[in-house]
Amino acid sequence: MAKQTISNIKLGVFVITGLLFLILLLYMIGKNENLFGSTFRLRAQFGNVQGLTSGNNIRYAGIQVGTVKKVRILNDTLIEVVMLIETKMKDFIRKNAVVSIGTDGLMGNHVLNITPVAGTADLVGDNDILPVKKMESVDDMMQTLAKTNEDVAVIASQLKNTVLRINSSTAVWEILDDKTVPQHIRSSLINVRSATAKASRLISDLQLVLSDIRDGKGSLGAIITDSSFAQNLQAALLRINEVGADADTLAKTINSLTRQVQDDLDRGGGTANVLLKDSTFARNLRESILNIREGTDGFNEIMEAMKHSFLFRGYFRNLEKQKKANLLLKQ
Amino acid sequence: METAFIIPVKPVATGTKKEEVIRIQGLYKSFGTNQVLIDFNLQLFAGENVVVLGKSGSGKSVLIKCIIGLLQPDQGLVQVFGKNIPDLSHEELDKIRMKVGFLFQSNALYDSMTVKENLEFPLRRHSIRMEQQEVDELVLNALDDVGLAHTINLMPAELSGGMRKRIALARTLILRPDIILYDEPTTGLDPITGKEIIELMVDIQKKYKSSSLIISHDMNCVRMAADRVVMLIDGKCYVQGSYDELKRSADPRVKEYFE
Amino acid sequence: MQIKNWKNWFDEAGDMSRFAGRFFSQWFRPRYEVAEFFRQCFIIGYKSLPLVGLTGFIMGLVLTMQLRPSLIDYGVESQLPAMVGIAIVREIGPVIAALIFAGKIGSSIGAELGSMKVTEQIDAMEVSGTNPFKYLVVTRVLATTLMLPVLVMLGDAISLYGSYLGVNIRGVTSFQLFWTQVFDNLSFSDVLPAFIKSFFFGFAVGVVGCYKGYNSRKGTEGVGRSANSAVVLSSILIFIIDLIAVQVTDIFELN
Repeated sequence: MAKQTISNIKLGVFVITGLLFLILLLYMIGKNENLFGSTFRLRAQFGNVQGLTSGNNIRYAGIQVGTVKKVRILNDTLIEVVMLIETKMKDFIRKNAVVSIGTDGLMGNHVLNITPVAGTADLVGDNDILPVKKMESVDDMMQTLAKTNEDVAVIASQLKNTVLRINSSTAVWEILDDKTVPQHIRSSLINVRSATAKASRLISDLQLVLSDIRDGKGSLGAIITDSSFAQNLQAALLRINEVGADADTLAKTINSLTRQVQDDLDRGGGTANVLLKDSTFARNLRESILNIREGTDGFNEIMEAMKHSFLFRGYFRNLEKQKKANLLLKQ
Repeated sequence: METAFIIPVKPVATGTKKEEVIRIQGLYKSFGTNQVLIDFNLQLFAGENVVVLGKSGSGKSVLIKCIIGLLQPDQGLVQVFGKNIPDLSHEELDKIRMKVGFLFQSNALYDSMTVKENLEFPLRRHSIRMEQQEVDELVLNALDDVGLAHTINLMPAELSGGMRKRIALARTLILRPDIILYDEPTTGLDPITGKEIIELMVDIQKKYKSSSLIISHDMNCVRMAADRVVMLIDGKCYVQGSYDELKRSADPRVKEYFE
Repeated sequence: MQIKNWKNWFDEAGDMSRFAGRFFSQWFRPRYEVAEFFRQCFIIGYKSLPLVGLTGFIMGLVLTMQLRPSLIDYGVESQLPAMVGIAIVREIGPVIAALIFAGKIGSSIGAELGSMKVTEQIDAMEVSGTNPFKYLVVTRVLATTLMLPVLVMLGDAISLYGSYLGVNIRGVTSFQLFWTQVFDNLSFSDVLPAFIKSFFFGFAVGVVGCYKGYNSRKGTEGVGRSANSAVVLSSILIFIIDLIAVQVTDIFELN
């Protein structure tokens, strides 16, 4: 019989230990699910609960305070979430606290966050409805994030390309390093402008001469009334006029260009990069500036030549006289 | 078998009582298509030793299992102490079984229990209110009867075949049955041990004045124990009589046992 | 031949169902074999604990170590306790314990009752005024049904401890953190279905073992065959019950 009692004790220990573990297991789970201990209810109304279900955790400022009791549909656009909150939290949660749906980690379960808000308000009571803040759902966030990521990737690759090309292009660096380029451009523009001014003055002078000639003034009026000569002269004048107009628009373009280049150099980026991709551009630019300078020089030469030509000598002399007279009059 | 001659049942020599304890009439039992017992008749009187002799598979075991209620007969009367076994309820059957001991062919000692627990088992199971002291005394007496008092705390597996048979006998005797049914008591034992067992059986029968029904094909057993022999052939009581009477029989089917 | 096999199979299935039905019709009726029931509980429950505990411990440890590399691949190594905890409580614990139980107890019941049948001990009991079905079958089936859930609980606890050691082989987690992580991720729907199905596992092992033993054919070969087929059949039944259990819990949305 002694043997029997010992085995009874062992059996008792065995069974009770097993049951204790079961009870412990159930108690720990129950504690997590707020089946034991006193709780009170709070409510919140959402347009979309994003898959929140009963049993999900509720956090107040990140602390586990309760679980979702149930989720029910009030009407087609309103869903009410009933929360079970530990009674001791009645002393902390205020009526202006905001409820939002979040997730536990990136992939975790949904959680209901109650966030305290600055400012005074009464403490909550049983069955109060708390205000709701719409949160971006993780889905939306992820989608946006994915799109942004793609864009960033494209931009980054392009940027990388550009930088590589800029780095490998010696011409760009030459231009960028060359501080005199904008000055050259500016001075050439000034030249262009003065050239056009000269050209227009010349044209008005020529028109004066022509009208004088047409009127038969001067000794050589008869010769000049030769029609073929007049026609040639007219064509030349037209061409000169055109050159002047072209030069004017060119001057404007180059002006804005220089400003941009100056800006880009100051900022060290932007459209200059695109502009300067073409390594031949710098050379062309320099050549065209030279050409323009040459052109204006040539023009001046022509003008000088015309002054010394026997045909116009008298005219220019008169002109100088008039100028002197004007000067004298002004004085 | 019209040639079979039936010797009328004689009063048992020692018995002053002629009370009929077992009466079997028109017993049929079959297993599937195999007819084992066909119209079998038997009577057992108080204080009498009857041996049922037959070949293996002739239905001897089936016969005594019908008597103790382990098997249900298909048809016929199996009366023990005047009550028909197949008609009895479980409670009534248990009462009959207290008065009828059964020695199994394979001893049927409970392997998981000691000798003492084996012997206590029927006492405790039959809802008998008894003090522990009384139980201990009965156990010791029963073990003394079979001469194995020293084995009381051993397990059956630690005993030899003959000892096990004796312990089984002691367990059968512990309830002081009025009838003991022996199922092949000498099978699996050497001739000398077998003889010892038979002697023990006879002694006990004398001591407790019980009647016994012995199933056997062992002629030693028949010779030593039988007041009367019943030959079971073809599912019937082929012939019955004393050992000497049957030995003198001219019937070839009887004679083959005595050769 | 084929048809006959099928016929035998259905015959046995029906016979076993009747056997189980007999258990239900008898277990609540007097007389109650209380002492024998407690003895069987001791043998079946307490004595199986070392084996179930050892296998549970190893399973917990091994499962943890095997899961770690793939969790590291996904960068959720910190979820290891939660994952192993759920696996053990929901499935590994009950099924491993039940299979070990089937191997140990199913075979021992099959062999014990088989040899009792063959050596006429069952008949002897009946002759001794005992209902052998109640004394042998009801007590054993009740004991297996009630003890396996207890074994499963203890096996779960030991498994979780093994898993805790497994987590700490290549990382450092305090016992308290491990414990909190496991319990935070468990719910009633993890524990209760597993606990309830272990009753059925225990019942299956008990009924099959008893049936096979109780209907053992003559001879020592019959006893061996009873023990063997008891283990095979109860192991298969455990998986079938497991399959049914998971579908039932699914229907009740407990998953």
